[in-house]
Amino acid sequence: MDKYIEMIRIRFLMMLAYRTNYYTGILIYSINIGAYYFLWSAIYSDKPSIQGMSIEQMTTYVAVSWMARAFYFNNIDREIAMEIKEGKVAVELIRPYSYLGMKTMQGLGEGIFRLLFLSLPGMIIVIFLFPLHFSTNVSTWIYFALSITLSFIINSELNLLAGVVTFFTLNNEGLLRAKRFIIDLFSGLILPISFYPAWAQEVMKYFPFQGISYIPSMIVTESFQGQAVIDGLLFQLVWSVMLLIPIRLLWRAAKKQLVIQGG
Amino acid sequence: MFYVSVFFQYMAQYIKTKLQYRTDLIVEFVSDLMFQAVNLIFILVVFGHTQLLHGWTRDEILFIYGFFLVPYAVFGAFFNIWDFNERYIVRGEMDRVLTRPVHSLFQIILERMELESLLGGVTGIIIMIYASARLHLVFHWYDVLVFIVFVLGGALVYAGVFISLATISFWSDARSSIMPMMYNISNYGRYPIDIYNRFIRYILTWILPFAFVGVYPSAYFLGKTEWYGYAFLTPVMGLIFFIIAVFLWNAGVKRYRGAGN
Amino acid sequence: MVNAIEVEKLRKEFKSYSSRAGLIGAFRDLFTRNYKIIRAVNDISFTVKQGEMVGYIGENGAGKSTTIKMLTGILTPTSGKVIVNGMIPHKEREAFVRTIGVVFGQRSQLWWDIAVQESFRLLKKVYRVSDRDYKEHMEHVIDTLDIGPLLDKPVRKLSLGQRMRCELAAALIHNPPLLFLDEPTIGLDVLVKLKIRKFLKEINEKYNTTILLTTHDISDIEALCERVIMLDEGKIIYDGSLQRLKANWGEGKQLQFTFANEIRLDALYALTNGLPVKWRKGEQANAWVAHVSPSLVPEVISRVVSGYDIQDMNINEISTEEIIRNIYEEGVVHG
Repeated sequence: MDKYIEMIRIRFLMMLAYRTNYYTGILIYSINIGAYYFLWSAIYSDKPSIQGMSIEQMTTYVAVSWMARAFYFNNIDREIAMEIKEGKVAVELIRPYSYLGMKTMQGLGEGIFRLLFLSLPGMIIVIFLFPLHFSTNVSTWIYFALSITLSFIINSELNLLAGVVTFFTLNNEGLLRAKRFIIDLFSGLILPISFYPAWAQEVMKYFPFQGISYIPSMIVTESFQGQAVIDGLLFQLVWSVMLLIPIRLLWRAAKKQLVIQGG
Repeated sequence: MFYVSVFFQYMAQYIKTKLQYRTDLIVEFVSDLMFQAVNLIFILVVFGHTQLLHGWTRDEILFIYGFFLVPYAVFGAFFNIWDFNERYIVRGEMDRVLTRPVHSLFQIILERMELESLLGGVTGIIIMIYASARLHLVFHWYDVLVFIVFVLGGALVYAGVFISLATISFWSDARSSIMPMMYNISNYGRYPIDIYNRFIRYILTWILPFAFVGVYPSAYFLGKTEWYGYAFLTPVMGLIFFIIAVFLWNAGVKRYRGAGN
Repeated sequence: MVNAIEVEKLRKEFKSYSSRAGLIGAFRDLFTRNYKIIRAVNDISFTVKQGEMVGYIGENGAGKSTTIKMLTGILTPTSGKVIVNGMIPHKEREAFVRTIGVVFGQRSQLWWDIAVQESFRLLKKVYRVSDRDYKEHMEHVIDTLDIGPLLDKPVRKLSLGQRMRCELAAALIHNPPLLFLDEPTIGLDVLVKLKIRKFLKEINEKYNTTILLTTHDISDIEALCERVIMLDEGKIIYDGSLQRLKANWGEGKQLQFTFANEIRLDALYALTNGLPVKWRKGEQANAWVAHVSPSLVPEVISRVVSGYDIQDMNINEISTEEIIRNIYEEGVVHG
């Protein structure tokens, strides 16, 4: 376990060297939140609520979604694809640790860093700029913390999956871009899932994507109440366990192929 | 004349290069389409819940978005030098450019051209045709010329802003994240300007005039007479910002320090 | 005869920024930054005549590349006069660069993904070379450099030696009267080096092309250049013929002894006490080299042989490389 914690620490230090990037990162995220804030204000204009969400809830939803993204977002899919392409994975496999586990820990190190240096200060700035409303209910925040952790797990698992799949495909770039497109659209980052037409919502129930952004943001804005919170968390939990299966299978197949091809 | 023939020479080489990597080309096409689709889906879904956005209808918003895609595509094809600092300053490619007898900015534009971006313009035109059919818009023969002038104006606004930002590399060797920031700001121009507050409206009109890439010129075609004044400013703003950029560029080249010093 | 290059009191200064430590330091750097001014080229003056081949040498950071970049119009000088081919490079850049050819050994002029001849065709257009001139001149160049079979290959598939020959041809498409070569033979094998040197001599004779060459490989200079300009810390420390440099610094011989046993430097100096001899450690174990004037050779040998057991001994001329190393170590040039 020590070595994994060490990996988190190393990543953290690496990120610290590039900290100036994060000052502008905060600005970029604020700009995006601003764009959607104005858009949503115009969309609501005189409507008190759409799909059960008030304008305050929606603004808060947008702000939290973006700042949470800073935490769960990482590029380990690209890193894995790159290391496979350059043949570095073969070297990694001799090392006495789980390659995918190590990648996840790197992602976690990055995530914690961004949480502290981008999301939290960014949130403070955004609170001053836009009329946000946060609950004072402690249990909401506990649920949110749980939910955001599960977000990280689901997103990282999808990244691992995409990274490993590049082992079997010819054009990695296309695959990774398609994945990003799907996550942008169906995670709930730019639009709450409840806004989609009923049939689309029905389809999305069978995919893990809303576990990345929609569920934690709905929890923290208290748009989910009572049973809906528990259902949401269960949804995330089930997916974070289920996704392990295809990762395991594909990784085993990839390793087998690696041994045959010699990297 | 010399510059035109050099332009076509570069273009021929470009096409030859791209044809060597055909699958990459298709992937780029498809992923471009996907990113345009994200915004399109956003607009369509939102208008499932409201009829008007600050007095603008769904089809008007679609028209603006469709128009925006055209100058943006022209910009993307010719002026998108976002990696200027990395590629030309840090790696020192600027040295090579400066030893050739063609204006350095022109050379870099030719080297970084990405003609496949123009496909986004086609998507934009299709969206505009769809929206204008539903809006029963009537066009005159000269509207085609106005359209071309406005598209060029909008592309030059973009080009002016991004080239000016690229010239920062001549003065400061620190890596900056201003470029990605600007891409995010430019998204504001895709929606009606009157949904923003006065401060942002002012910035989008006079400082970072991205409103001239989407809303203002579109207002002309949508027959929104109250915005005509701004609409006809589009080519003027484009020229002003582009000239400023070229001026900054020429001043910057004098300050160029070379790589590896 | 017209001067190809005239440089007078040429100076280039750079600001060198340093960043402060820590988070607060990084924040302060956003507003004010510490810097000091570094003078990379310090008031140098020289002229090069049309048709000369000049070696421009110096250690890393001596100011070689900075000078070349000012001469080619890439950098604007801080002060001083620079006139190349009758023009001020950075002022009339586009007209000026049509009269020069540049090869940067570590940077490609050619387009990576397209065939070599496509790059040539593009450059032909850029330099506005007529079909007739191109045919007449380039056929010869392609022939001499033996790159005919490479022309339809993409640059990324060429070996370094093949690429370098193509680079050289690309720099000569417009048959410039002045050629700048920055480390043209870096990393090349001996055969390719020989081919390139032969070619450079040829175009120099045929077209009276002026060539300014920077290199770390002294054998390039020995093979090509009558004249060398030596740079140290931004100043010219020697400008003159290679002959004279050798005559002043290279008179004398190197005596290389391999001793049977370990020996100390002061023991050697004690042995040659009273004679103007310089000792330094050789490359092998127990090997020592004495730098002596020719008349003293017998005396030194007899003292050493009578004093210690010798396994091997050589008498050598002093190499140019040795001379240059001596100059940099002592920092003075007489003559």
